[in-house]
Amino acid sequence: MPYEFEEILETIRMTEIEHFDIRTVTMGISLRDCHDRNIEVTKQKIYDKILLFGKNHVKLAKEVEAQYGISIANKRISVTPISIPFDACSTEEFIEIAKTLDKAAEEIGIDYIAGFSAMVQKGMTNGEHELIKAIPFALSETKRVCSSVNIASTKAGINIDAVNMMSEVIKLTAEKTKDHDSIGCAKLVVFANAVEDNPFVAGAFHGISEPEIVLNVGISGPGVVLEAIREAGQVDLQQLSEVIKKTIFKITRAGELIGRKVAEKNGIAFGIVDISLAPTPSEGDSIADILKAMGVQDVGAPGTTAALAMLNDSVKKAGLMASSSVGGMSGAFIPVSEDMGMIRAVQAGNLSLEKLEAMTAVCSVGLDMIAVPGDTPATTIAGIIADEAAIGIINDKTTAVRIIPAYGKKIGDFVDYGGLLGKAPIMEVRNLSCADFVGRGGRIPAPMRSLTN
Amino acid sequence: MNLTEEEIRKITFDVLSELGDKATPEKVKEFVNKRIESTEGGDIKLTLGDVSSGRVILTSFGLNHPGIVAGVTKALGDNNCDILDLSQKILGDFFTMIMVIDISSSDKDLKEIQDEMSKIALEMKIKIYLQHEDVFRFMHRI
Repeated sequence: MPYEFEEILETIRMTEIEHFDIRTVTMGISLRDCHDRNIEVTKQKIYDKILLFGKNHVKLAKEVEAQYGISIANKRISVTPISIPFDACSTEEFIEIAKTLDKAAEEIGIDYIAGFSAMVQKGMTNGEHELIKAIPFALSETKRVCSSVNIASTKAGINIDAVNMMSEVIKLTAEKTKDHDSIGCAKLVVFANAVEDNPFVAGAFHGISEPEIVLNVGISGPGVVLEAIREAGQVDLQQLSEVIKKTIFKITRAGELIGRKVAEKNGIAFGIVDISLAPTPSEGDSIADILKAMGVQDVGAPGTTAALAMLNDSVKKAGLMASSSVGGMSGAFIPVSEDMGMIRAVQAGNLSLEKLEAMTAVCSVGLDMIAVPGDTPATTIAGIIADEAAIGIINDKTTAVRIIPAYGKKIGDFVDYGGLLGKAPIMEVRNLSCADFVGRGGRIPAPMRSLTN
Repeated sequence: MNLTEEEIRKITFDVLSELGDKATPEKVKEFVNKRIESTEGGDIKLTLGDVSSGRVILTSFGLNHPGIVAGVTKALGDNNCDILDLSQKILGDFFTMIMVIDISSSDKDLKEIQDEMSKIALEMKIKIYLQHEDVFRFMHRI
């Protein structure tokens, strides 16, 4: 037998019991050659190009699933940040483009298409300004389009004018999708140091240094790591780190194999494996449960940040060893609504927004899927975004905010989207104002990179 | 990897027609060597990441009862699958069997064989998984 009995059973156990799956195979498509001075021609070019490369994406991914017995949860598409090739467009035209993306995604049979995006960390072109204004309409008038805006980077600092604009956009998006628990905000990410090859929607886009077409993979396996930690029992932290690394190594290898095979079947280049641990609302597929298994009573307890830092670091070390194509976010995600353990911690009053913010300093990716009261002022949301961006630029890492000021809801209520987006309890936001700070506008200068204390 | 003389001749002709008037003996030699190098590199990459074999790992388990091995092996035989290796254990009331099979001589593809085997699994109230060998190779071998 070329493999040990235990090795084979381990793989079967991972895929069949512990929720190991490939979270997403995301095809990145460049739309930089799709501009035309006639908007109708532009739309047709976008639609044709996405269909040309994407039409077999779902079918081929399913074939690979069957071949290797590893399920691929999501098949998705990311495109060039729309503001770049279509900079000459008006707000109305950008909304039309969003609808075209939506139609193409529907035709292909995928649930999300991402890249209705702009990079405005230093300043904004007229086109980017128009695109940002179009976001609330694009997200409320389409089902599948996801949007992201990068408002800060280590090299440029934090564009507070853009932060202020985005906080208003978030509020308006919440209002425009109020009949569906403000779901538009779940499809909108505000980034600092956004990465160009992230396969995870909603924050995915096909960056400008990417090739024409590429296939990126995001793996997921909190359930597998959880089981390995439980099995390890009472070992010291160095041994625990070993356990985590061994597990991640195996699932990264499997992830790369699946990604390469899907790319091969599509006849396109393979890009990266994103080794992020991404939870799902399924029981046991939770980052919070891992932290608890490591020994903290609940997420939010003192020690949580240290446990998360170690988990995240072990994930990276093992992933880098397992694959030469690691990219994207590659950390651990801590979205509230998509993780049953996080939801329980918030409900029990153990996890606050402030502790979450501290946790984001040591993991990817940021304040993710956080629902807050609908009457939270835009300036407060701007403050939350600026805080998160500050963590990102000072630590030279990606951070993001995906916040849902759920229209008409208050503490004690829920937003419930079902499926992978899950449900989130409304969290308390400190009732203190930062209006005068963010109201100053301008840009927080780029940070220095030495004397880093 | 070695190219046959025939293949090298073909490459040389391709290079000659591409170079046209600019062809000199030195240039042709240089271009042909380059092309051979890149072909070899490409081929080596192909073998590394290739779905090289028709080898599939079959794992089955469930409550033990007579006739499981017979049922599974008969179905494989009917589909022209070659059993390369077999290992079986009984743990308490549970039966576990792992097989390495070769499906390259079968006229069915992996998906169709999986469908056939899931019928057998249903009949015998056991679980049967068929996965391409590569996934085990990637996860457990460096």
